[in-house]
Amino acid sequence: MSRRASTAAWMVTCVAAIACASAQPAAKTIALPMRTDGPKSLDPAAGSTTYDNMATVQFYETLLQVCYYDESRFEPLLLADMPERLDDGRRYRFRLKEGVRFHDDACFPGGRGRAVTSDDVFYSWKRLADKRNGLKNWWLLEDTIVGLDAFKEAQNAALDAGGSFDYDAPVEGFVRVSDLEFEVVLTKPVFRFLWVLTMFQSSVVPREAVERYGQDFASRPVGTGPFVLREWVPKQKLVAERNPNYHACTYPEASLWSEEDRAAGLAEAAGQRLPIADRIEFTMYVPDQPVWLEFQQGTLGYIELPFDYFSQAFNPRTKRMNADLRRRGVGYRAVPQLDMIFRAFNMDDPVVGGYTEDRKKLRKAISLAMDLQEFNDAFYSGLCVVYDGPIPPGLDGHPQGGRVSGAPRGPDLDLARRYLAEAGYPDGRGLPTIRFYTSQGGNNADQVELLRRQLGRIGVRIDVQLVDFSTLIELVNKRSAPMFSFAWLTDYPDGENNLALFYGPNESPGSNHWNYKNPEFDALYELAVVMGPGPERTALYERMRDMVIDDCPMVGSLARTRYYLTQPWLKNARPTERFWSWFKYLDVDESKR
Amino acid sequence: MWSYVVRRVLYNVPIFLVIVLILMGLLRINDPVAARLGKVASAEAIAAERDRMGLNRPFPEQYADFLWDFARMDFSERSWDQAQTVGQVVFPSIVPSLSITVPALALSACVSIVIGLIAAANRGKLIDRALMLGAVLGMCVSYLVYIILGQKFGAFWLSERLGTRVFAVQGYEDWTTWSQPLNALRTWAHYCLLPVLISVVVTMGYDTRFYRAVIVEQATSDYVRTARAKGCGERRVMFKHLLRNAMIPIITRIMITLPFVVVGSLLLEIFFGIPGMGRTLYNSIINKDFPVTQAIVALLAAIFIASNILTDVLYAIVDPRVRLS
Repeated sequence: MSRRASTAAWMVTCVAAIACASAQPAAKTIALPMRTDGPKSLDPAAGSTTYDNMATVQFYETLLQVCYYDESRFEPLLLADMPERLDDGRRYRFRLKEGVRFHDDACFPGGRGRAVTSDDVFYSWKRLADKRNGLKNWWLLEDTIVGLDAFKEAQNAALDAGGSFDYDAPVEGFVRVSDLEFEVVLTKPVFRFLWVLTMFQSSVVPREAVERYGQDFASRPVGTGPFVLREWVPKQKLVAERNPNYHACTYPEASLWSEEDRAAGLAEAAGQRLPIADRIEFTMYVPDQPVWLEFQQGTLGYIELPFDYFSQAFNPRTKRMNADLRRRGVGYRAVPQLDMIFRAFNMDDPVVGGYTEDRKKLRKAISLAMDLQEFNDAFYSGLCVVYDGPIPPGLDGHPQGGRVSGAPRGPDLDLARRYLAEAGYPDGRGLPTIRFYTSQGGNNADQVELLRRQLGRIGVRIDVQLVDFSTLIELVNKRSAPMFSFAWLTDYPDGENNLALFYGPNESPGSNHWNYKNPEFDALYELAVVMGPGPERTALYERMRDMVIDDCPMVGSLARTRYYLTQPWLKNARPTERFWSWFKYLDVDESKR
Repeated sequence: MWSYVVRRVLYNVPIFLVIVLILMGLLRINDPVAARLGKVASAEAIAAERDRMGLNRPFPEQYADFLWDFARMDFSERSWDQAQTVGQVVFPSIVPSLSITVPALALSACVSIVIGLIAAANRGKLIDRALMLGAVLGMCVSYLVYIILGQKFGAFWLSERLGTRVFAVQGYEDWTTWSQPLNALRTWAHYCLLPVLISVVVTMGYDTRFYRAVIVEQATSDYVRTARAKGCGERRVMFKHLLRNAMIPIITRIMITLPFVVVGSLLLEIFFGIPGMGRTLYNSIINKDFPVTQAIVALLAAIFIASNILTDVLYAIVDPRVRLS
């Protein structure tokens, strides 16, 4: 070897030796990815994004939780048993689990976490009414609990007048029975209230911590959760360690799991105390490539496979995992989203809005000209479910096979042209160019080109406006966007959540972005919202769904399916996006790592 | 010289004030509140959030408050996006940025000047053409391609081949907290060396061509011919005479890049997950975190002004012909 070559080799060896990481992971440490920049706040009252949720639920807990073994159900978490339904659902009686303590923290006397009481629950929910917390999550409890809306008005008015927000002021619907028992009186027997109790924003927080840490409370979680925060470097990493005082929670019993899940080994940990892992380390990833490469290196326990890398891991046609990953023992789970990707019409718009037959036909013509499957194939690797109406797969009210008879599902260009002519615009003549707004992110610029081409086939012209998301929301809220597009991820697994988007009183700037107003629909919605699951309620959902399809305030829908890959060493993994507290169930098989 | 510096600082104060004014005005063209609250923002929630963010106050008051805080270097305002103060968001991002940009700047400047000298000394010969062809080819390839290939082959593929992780695919660890220099160096190299090398490769193409052009121009000057006529050796001509006279454009180029050294390299920081200033600024813009955007841009403007003044001072130091008045 020449002198130069040997010098170069020596230098490479030195760099390699210097650069090699030396730290060994601690026992039962699981590295997990968090897409995007991660959480913005660890305060349940201030959080709203998926990533706020994913991080917050490791430290805080709700009264109920979604079942790991069956995501369509919920079970007690901070409660000793399921809430007792009284007065036909107008009142619920709760009994807190004994022995649940907050994390040890300096905010408590002696630094030892105290037991959770009924007052903590009331205090935590009152925080959602405090405008200093942004009222971002107030919609969860708005018009739900007797006296809470009045409490909110009075206390925020006091704040405006220079006074203070009195958390000790009574709320009629909060009835304290004892330290561990309480009742909540509802304004009407809305079933979704129980789902709200599974959502991270309703988590229980200790007043001492909020008052001691003030604004820093958002980065100093003190909850009852399975993990305690060890380190949080915003937009970079978040490290959580086992809560040594976690209350008695065990892995779901074997009998609760389905045959398929048992065969996948998910029942093997039945009865184990939670959390099983000692430490979870979240790393934030913005671009897709690093997360994919790090998974292949074996660093990350699981990943949500980016759409762009689908063909590297699976055969796009057969959806079969490639041989290399199979050989390495990598597992996967296809997770359908409670998702609604749509193109919307503003029903107040003078051209595309309105409820007369010709306006409906115009909207239906546009819908019939669109080929959602082409969008699916071009932009989502064919992984979306195309369905009629606003209720995603997996929920009551979703149409059988995704199809509703008579729905204006495209592409049907002949019918589209006929409807367009009947609407008074033969071959699009006389129809003004329609302004279509969507956000600049992702591949939207490409998607609108496809949309432009598809609508152009029947002579409908659109003027595409790619704007940032805040402008899009502002325009939609002001009812200035005739046609627009974004997606809706269902908050809780109940079709009611999606149907609420078409309820008249929720019109802009509320969640009814299309300003759809149909008195018959509203009456049915008010009827359904107080009903529990059952065939009667499902029938109502279907009627409402069909009304929306017939009036056609939207073209849709698509629901994404995400593929999650799991390492062979990651045990008990059943990835889902319905809730994010499932990391406490994960285990590590070190022999396979 | 000091009177010159003071005068220049005073001249630049109005420029700084206008920059901040334009920045704050532009940021407020679109209402950030609705986007922050998402798709279910009620009118009441929007009003409460606007109040909480201080956007209800008159614009002149917001402007004056910001300038007053900035003048006192008070960065205790809360970020709108993070559960931290502006100072807690901005200052920790300086070291990660410098960990990449300073070594990259130093390395690329040294390597480019040396290559520029070699090319200039062999002007028109095969070696000159080969080096310049390499530089042009290097410039033709997108930064993003280098990053993607660097991650794929420099981090992932190399680790697979060697059976050990030489470079991190992405991530950052604060290497300054290590007490032992070797550990600090190892940590830095694991996370930062690959981005530094990519940065050097990318900038070398531009820098080499620039430095070669400067040196070639100087090489045709009368003083070089005189030096050679007096019997100076080629090395002495190059380093003692030529390089010293070429320092003004070299200093100008390096000083111009200085503010960007602090702001960091956006693409590298995003793709390698390095929590530097560039990524922080980008995130603050995307997330409409006005307090952080304003603080970083104002800092950048101040650094830019300072580096311009410093450049003039350095001219006078390296070139006796330059007089500051």
